[in-house]
Amino acid sequence: MAVKELVALEKCLGLNSGKYSSRAQGAGKIPVLQTNKGPSLVGLSTIASHLVKEAKKEELLGSTAEEKAIVQQWLEYRISYIDRASSKEDIRNVLNDLNHYLKDKVFVAGNTVTLADILIYYGLHPVITGLSVQEKETYINVSRWFSHIQNYPGIRQHLPSLVFIKNRIYASNH
Amino acid sequence: MKLFVGEGNPHGVKVLAAAALWAEHVHINRLQQEEKIVPFMSQPRLPALDLENGNYLFLSNAVCRYFYLSSGHDVCNLSNQWLEWEAVELQPAFSAALYAHVVQGRKKEEVIASLSASLSHLDQSLAGKPSPYLVKDALTVADIVVWGSLYPLIEDASSLPEEMKLLKHWFQTVSQLEQCQKAVSFLMKDGGSSVFKPYLQKQPVPITPSGKPTCN
Repeated sequence: MAVKELVALEKCLGLNSGKYSSRAQGAGKIPVLQTNKGPSLVGLSTIASHLVKEAKKEELLGSTAEEKAIVQQWLEYRISYIDRASSKEDIRNVLNDLNHYLKDKVFVAGNTVTLADILIYYGLHPVITGLSVQEKETYINVSRWFSHIQNYPGIRQHLPSLVFIKNRIYASNH
Repeated sequence: MKLFVGEGNPHGVKVLAAAALWAEHVHINRLQQEEKIVPFMSQPRLPALDLENGNYLFLSNAVCRYFYLSSGHDVCNLSNQWLEWEAVELQPAFSAALYAHVVQGRKKEEVIASLSASLSHLDQSLAGKPSPYLVKDALTVADIVVWGSLYPLIEDASSLPEEMKLLKHWFQTVSQLEQCQKAVSFLMKDGGSSVFKPYLQKQPVPITPSGKPTCN
């Protein structure tokens, strides 16, 4: 999964495909990129951040110290919380937190798209695919953000476009 | 900006050390128990940094990274890789080991022995380097993040396996920094790893990276 996602990111950034392998780590697998210069790089967010620099699109990593830290924080959240959500309750917690966080936001960090939007979109895709129409309405801010990112030029790549209904069909609790 | 650390929360060690090393104008608040500081998170998450402009950092590595970046440093690929390794591999393994030792009363040598894969990865990475640090020839955020994860359990370089000489030297070098000593005494008050007991007791039993619970 992680390697496929990095290949999608390369395409999104206009880079040629790199040489990847996987290393077992705990119950899962961790991606490894063989670079031309220097040693190989290990880990999804490390490799993704490296690809962004290779493509000379550093703005995707945030422009200020604060934005950079926020982007990397959400990359860690993606790996440590979204990817490790193993029960329905874990998934609900992740969606609740993100829904609350995105309430007043267009993008995850700052005022433009960043690597955090791209990797959280990739990581959430299987989760959102499994949601009912009603659940998509419950996590309305996540749905709005997700729909926006999947329509953002170049990001979606091979992933199927998910359907969101613009008008609520279930009575709101508010 | 305001930095919040929880009493007896081991993740406080690294953020306090990073604040002392690289941050200016940070007001440190020690909370008696886990409190909800970050408004968008349903569970209390400490340590947390309130940037006082509506933004919060709620993962300890992001807080350390922010302090490091705001003092004019850049984070290279290798540092990113250490921070990611710490979050994905080291932190879960050490949290489980600290829990087993402090809450379940397992012997320190035993739990440290169960961490040998992570520890030898560190020891081997230090081999062939002209400096005692993980990245380049100077202290970076990678050293503080990894050290801060080890410290609550290890405390003293002599607890590390005898044959891992480079690791012991690195651990001692970082521990001896004035800012690290200050962070440790602020949080641990010379009480040793038992100061983490009340906090850890309230946490769910950690699942080790191999997927097995630490008890039985």
